[in-house]
Amino acid sequence: MSSDSSSTSGDEFTNPNPNSTSKSLEDQFASAALTEPDNEPPEIQESPNGVVNGSVGENNHGEIESNEREGAVGSNLEARQSARWRRTNSEVEVEAPSSPSSSGYAGERGSSSASGSSVGFEMMSGGIGGGDDVEIQEVSNVDSIQDSQASWVPGKRHVDEDDASLSWRKRKKHFFILSNSGKPIYSRYGDEHKLAGFSATLQAIISFVENGGDRVKLVRAGNHQVVFLVKGPIYLVCISCTEEPYESLRGQLELIYGQMLLILTKSVNRCFEKNPKFDMTPLLGGTDVVFSSLIHSFSWNPATFLHAYTCLPLAYATRQAAGAILQDVADSGVLFAILMCKHKVISLVGAQKASLHPDDMLLLANFVMSSESFRTSESFSPICLPRYNPMAFLYAYVHYLDVDTYLMLLTTSSDAFYHLKDCRIRIEMVLLRSNVLSEVQRSMLDGGMHVEDLPTDPLPRSGTLSPHLGQPRDSLESFREPFVGIGGPAGLWHFMYRSIFLDQYVSSEFSPPINSPRKQKRLYRAYQNLYASMHDKGIGPHKTQFRRDENYVLLCWATQDFELYAAFDPLADKAVAIKTCNRVCQWVKDVENEIFLLGASPFSW
Amino acid sequence: MGMSAATTAAEGIKFCIFDLRRGQQEGQELDKILFFFPADLPFSAQLSVIGLSEGLITFTRIFSPAAACEVIEAERHSHVFYEAEPDIWMVMVVEKNESEAIWRIDALRKVLKEVHSLFLMFHGSIRTLIEKEPAGGLIRSHLYPFIMDYLSACQKRSLLDNCCWDFLLGKKLQLPSFRDCLKERGTVQMLTVSREAAIEVQSLVRVLESFAGNTQFYSLILFQDLLVSTTLSPVDTINLFTYAVLRLTPRALSSGVSSWSYLRKGSTTSNVATGSILAQSASVSEQNFRSQDTSPPGGVNSHHIARPLQPDRWSKGKDGFLVTDIWGAEASGSTSATPTIWLQQTEERVYVCAYQYRSLTLILLVPVASILNGEQGVLVVKQQILENASLKMFQIEEKLSKGWAGENAYHVSGYRYLLVDGDRDVSRASPPGKVTTLTKESLLALSKVREEVDLEKGRMEHDNAGQEKDLEVCIRAKNNAWVIARITKGKELYMVLEKANETVLYASDAVEKFSNRYCNGAFSLD
Repeated sequence: MSSDSSSTSGDEFTNPNPNSTSKSLEDQFASAALTEPDNEPPEIQESPNGVVNGSVGENNHGEIESNEREGAVGSNLEARQSARWRRTNSEVEVEAPSSPSSSGYAGERGSSSASGSSVGFEMMSGGIGGGDDVEIQEVSNVDSIQDSQASWVPGKRHVDEDDASLSWRKRKKHFFILSNSGKPIYSRYGDEHKLAGFSATLQAIISFVENGGDRVKLVRAGNHQVVFLVKGPIYLVCISCTEEPYESLRGQLELIYGQMLLILTKSVNRCFEKNPKFDMTPLLGGTDVVFSSLIHSFSWNPATFLHAYTCLPLAYATRQAAGAILQDVADSGVLFAILMCKHKVISLVGAQKASLHPDDMLLLANFVMSSESFRTSESFSPICLPRYNPMAFLYAYVHYLDVDTYLMLLTTSSDAFYHLKDCRIRIEMVLLRSNVLSEVQRSMLDGGMHVEDLPTDPLPRSGTLSPHLGQPRDSLESFREPFVGIGGPAGLWHFMYRSIFLDQYVSSEFSPPINSPRKQKRLYRAYQNLYASMHDKGIGPHKTQFRRDENYVLLCWATQDFELYAAFDPLADKAVAIKTCNRVCQWVKDVENEIFLLGASPFSW
Repeated sequence: MGMSAATTAAEGIKFCIFDLRRGQQEGQELDKILFFFPADLPFSAQLSVIGLSEGLITFTRIFSPAAACEVIEAERHSHVFYEAEPDIWMVMVVEKNESEAIWRIDALRKVLKEVHSLFLMFHGSIRTLIEKEPAGGLIRSHLYPFIMDYLSACQKRSLLDNCCWDFLLGKKLQLPSFRDCLKERGTVQMLTVSREAAIEVQSLVRVLESFAGNTQFYSLILFQDLLVSTTLSPVDTINLFTYAVLRLTPRALSSGVSSWSYLRKGSTTSNVATGSILAQSASVSEQNFRSQDTSPPGGVNSHHIARPLQPDRWSKGKDGFLVTDIWGAEASGSTSATPTIWLQQTEERVYVCAYQYRSLTLILLVPVASILNGEQGVLVVKQQILENASLKMFQIEEKLSKGWAGENAYHVSGYRYLLVDGDRDVSRASPPGKVTTLTKESLLALSKVREEVDLEKGRMEHDNAGQEKDLEVCIRAKNNAWVIARITKGKELYMVLEKANETVLYASDAVEKFSNRYCNGAFSLD
């Protein structure tokens, strides 16, 4: 049967057997590539494994199909072509794609019932156009850029390079995805097609070791590390001289793999079972931005190694108000309702028992934020949460409420668009009425915890909540005065606090002297090393660590409830630094109502 | 039967040396292999190890031209690389398992460095021997016995270190594992001497130098297994010290006699009778090598090849000089030839005269070029030692013995430590018997911390930043032990404190006290 379908066109997609798994994704992809995306949407009941079950009761799509994906592939190829066009041309000339649909990814007929509507379902259209090439990779001088997050533009860099270019070889951190037959799928730098030979070499290394009954994990050469990760038919490789520990780089490869699953689900494996020489690049066409933005976050977002998410600081009541309305929606058949501001969570609600892994949140937020099209119109897009169910698609309704704040409603039902749109309208109204959105914007301006604000007296704070994280606003300026440019008391420069039970972390704002992106990245890497050292697989986790080098004094304190990571001036006094850490913990506890999302399950509320 | 035992024992490790300049033609790959252990591994398997190694050397040079592949970590094995000489690579493949086979890569690489340094000292560079006989027979016939002897020495030495005489253990190759994290290979251990004794040692050294006339002699003096004085360069000191502790010091001599003698009973061929599995597999594979050898039969093998690391070949003569027949007999046949070695620093060949009085071992190195009449000249020097130096040695030995507190002399109670002075290549550590009291968890944690420090040190080296690493790591492990590493001004201190108080301040206090009392405050904060 599968051989039949491999030659079919889009019209024959209809598979009478809803549970059939004989028809591989690949076949569908292959044939879908030939079809016009705006055909009548086919109803395919291809069920990867039918794991997503109905917390949505009436949903006969509990078994998630991948038909949306097919629709996308046709345009994918176009996207791919336009991407290639772009790469062969000077990058300055690149502009946004002519029409969203030409580069749309999963686009146009996101759900059968809604496909006819004029609502722009397209996503990823920004994927191609977003990549003005700004040289701010590690290779170049980062110091000149004030805020790496703000000025960083996602997108593929240096597409004209390949493994023969000296500049390519000197890039500090490469990421590759390839298939087990050695076909390139993704490369951070350079054109995948030109890297076919290089890809084959990576594949040869992996399979050579495999043939010897072993599995290669890491190769070290001078300051370079080559890290390998094998995920079924997908191979991931990182080549880096960034001094990050092996565990971090491996974790980053896991996330990249997760990001790929988020776009395609694990059922893509079947394509390789069918045809080992399957070319996966078209399926990921236009998603360069998603990967490049994820890779960028490896150098500034602690969530990538802490495996926790962070919240936007908000008054308890404000967050509760947001949570309440999200809960209302969740009760009406939404699997997850997430309100976020950039990479910070405002509130988050899941249907009974459904819980969201912080890594999935990271990948989802990255996917949404890196794709320009989500910003311009409400979207409905199939996505997979790899930690929730790697085999199945969910559907994400995404809408930006303001420039940084966006709402994501996740469902198992592919035809829930209008319902979710209604939900969003209700949510938006409530948020506006209760001033949540303005509070969010104020919080964005105020920032989070500043080390300069660390309360000096060890006495417990008074019961009443102060307007800003336990610190009276008006006294702030004078309070900060003595520490200008030297961080907080006792030489405290920065800290991160991770609550084990909440899966959340809070990190202080960067203040001088950690004020340039380069310094921030260096500190970030120092934390990564500290984290890896504390969490050694064989003997960890350790309880305490004090570490001093020419750059910092770092302290880590790990208990069953929390982990604290703190960075001090390298000349900081040990005893005072330890006391300061205790005060930081106390401070975090004092303001936990504002910085954490507590009792995420609203039934307790 | 012996063979199968050998293979099972050696299963965990592969060790090879290959030359990337050889065997470039297809079908001639075997030519690359200069040494392979275990030698009875099928050639296809040998080539597979070398193929992977070569492939990764080439691959990593794409990104890191200056420093190619150093290690491959796979799930079940670690492959440790060392480029001993340009294009001549040593690769050791060790198996990992959960219980004991947990390695620190740098410690393994130091094994490779050590075996190569010793080889240089005795035979000169590998490349020179290859060039002397391009077919490769010469270098192979030198490397094979040398490394096999080294590995069996490796066996024995670690047994000694553990003060353990169970010879069943000896069947397994004892490579440095996490349990050896409070040791540093490639360093010398010094005896702390009183001021008074130091002056006498100085005067002895001056007397020895006076024998030389216008040329220069070098000397190395050891008390037990500890260095008292050296006039050699650091690199030559390390090599000769390592060799002396392996083969020349009283303990090395006596362990050979007492331990192996009963095994020899009833045996005719001394080579096999060492009882060492490695020696057995050595003899097997020597044949292997012969058959593989492309050089004309007899050409190479008729040549006498000294095996300086062969165990139990040194003994103490009646006159106090240590003698061996390793370097063959003199032409006359009556006495043994005096050993010679290469000094790396001065690139000269020197005679080795070792004289021993009780615990004191004196090694006098006489440049071959400075003596015109060969062995005769050596005899003259020996006579001079007996006449002019021996009395001083008696006095020094007496003085040092009086001040010597025995095996646990450098134990500091409550501490388990390793102190390395990288500038002088000197280390001192808690006695092995005391280190064994530590729990496995503590040792693993320290080994891991050392690995982190190794990486940081490596980065400093690669970056050529020129600045010295200053680092302090203090970890409270899961088992409540404090695991500490301090690097400052070229000195390193590693420490494990079990049963210690829980605050970081307590731990750093302990380091401070130790530093002030035993390290001249090198690790103190002010």
